[in-house]
Amino acid sequence: MLKKYKPFLRAGAIDTMAYRFNILIWAVITVCQVACLVFLWLAVYRSSAGGMDAEIHGFTYREMIAYVVLTTIFNFVTFNNDTLWNINTDIKKGTIGNYLIKPISYRGKFAATSFGSLLTMTLMFGVPLYTAALVTLGCLGFLPDLTFPAFFAHLALFLLAGLCASLLNDTIAYIFGVLCFYTSSGWGLNSLKETLVAFLSGTLLPLAFFPAGLREAVSWMPFAGMSQNPVLILMMKYDLAQSLRCLALSAAWIVLLELFAKLLFTRAVRKVTVQGG
Amino acid sequence: MRYVHLYFTCIKRSMISRLEYKKDTMIALFSFFFSNLCSLAALYFILQSIPALAGYSLPEVGFFYGFSMLPIALDHLFSDEFWLVAYRRVKDGDMDMHFLRPVPVIFQVFAETFQPEGFGELILGVALIAVCASSLTVKVTLGAIAVLCIGAVFGAVIITSLKVSMAALAFIFKRSGPLLQIIYNFSNYAKYPLAIYPAFIRAMLIFLLPFGLFISLPVDTLLYGTHDPWLLCLAIIICAAVFFALAVRIWTLCERRYESTGS
Repeated sequence: MLKKYKPFLRAGAIDTMAYRFNILIWAVITVCQVACLVFLWLAVYRSSAGGMDAEIHGFTYREMIAYVVLTTIFNFVTFNNDTLWNINTDIKKGTIGNYLIKPISYRGKFAATSFGSLLTMTLMFGVPLYTAALVTLGCLGFLPDLTFPAFFAHLALFLLAGLCASLLNDTIAYIFGVLCFYTSSGWGLNSLKETLVAFLSGTLLPLAFFPAGLREAVSWMPFAGMSQNPVLILMMKYDLAQSLRCLALSAAWIVLLELFAKLLFTRAVRKVTVQGG
Repeated sequence: MRYVHLYFTCIKRSMISRLEYKKDTMIALFSFFFSNLCSLAALYFILQSIPALAGYSLPEVGFFYGFSMLPIALDHLFSDEFWLVAYRRVKDGDMDMHFLRPVPVIFQVFAETFQPEGFGELILGVALIAVCASSLTVKVTLGAIAVLCIGAVFGAVIITSLKVSMAALAFIFKRSGPLLQIIYNFSNYAKYPLAIYPAFIRAMLIFLLPFGLFISLPVDTLLYGTHDPWLLCLAIIICAAVFFALAVRIWTLCERRYESTGS
């Protein structure tokens, strides 16, 4: 049943490989960017009432730096899909027709491609980057002391959380992509999606900094599971029970969003306007 | 003169084709406001947990942020097409038509899009500046006003030049979007006072990717009179001229490497 999606999985992996030089540049310059963010947070802690040793919203400056570094790597490895743009192109160029007549699910095709990309990114960049970051941060004392069985449990949960995050991201990109059926163009929808995800997933700053009401509301949304929660699981800021709760929430959201996406697609596909071929 | 006429003709056509996607334009406009609101909210949340950021009060940091939006908005109005070139158009071999016309390719890319979203950002920036300035007490001099205006306008030229240079690399690497994205993202760091960075980052933001030169230094000059405004004006203008000349040169060198895709 799943076999027919294998070419797409391969294509996603190969596509990511083909642009590895691009990805390398990206990685190098990201380091500069992270450095700048680290300096911003250092200035924040230096300027805080309690000085450098202060704990702001449950984060020491060491934890905050570890958080910034790990979120950056996480987003780089996990969010590498062009689902929205590809749907947009399929609509604009009319190639969507090719998929509608083939015996594969349009959604399945994207899920497989993104999964292929996730695999390549994780093996090619994730493993070395996470290892380097964890060892460096650990040696600098920016992470809590590791006890090994516990760490491996967290690592396993983190990998699962990463898979969930990638799926969530792909589903949300797909939903926004399908909305292009109505707007006929993806530019605005894409920037809306990116902003929404960056802000609510804790990439801009940990959700702990949000005012109480907003924080509570956002913690029930799927976004925290896309960036903040996986990273906090890896940093062992969440205990096992909390981590499992996050995973359950993400899993529930994946099911809900997939159902919604399916519904949306069946409705939207009736609206399909092919603008030339 | 011919080019001015040509530019407006192309822009008119681009606006018409944009109106084809009315809903998307509305969403883009909304998401623009939303994105800026999110960044502002993030900054506000952070500043709420500390008394002041490296000695700068909340309205001062807000003023910085508002001013940083002006050159970014101006650049956004005119050069948005370069994002597409960097991310997709070269990779898809979609640039062929430009090479067949008797007008420089770089001009055609500029004339391809006019992005009205920039106005939203401009308005938001001015509004933020006005709100924050009302709770500041600074002695406004003619020089300070001049350096802010020069910083906004020529800063936009510098941003556009960086964008053009990075987009041009797509002719060699097929896809330079991520590179452009990250260079462009450095503009985020000029949204805060340079004082929060160590010396080498400050130097980088002034000499290498000079967002600090046309954002932070002019604002510092207004708030604290740290620099001679007229000298700073001159520096910004020279920098913009150099960056623009370099960008055009890089573009011309790179576009020769363009190869169309077979399909």
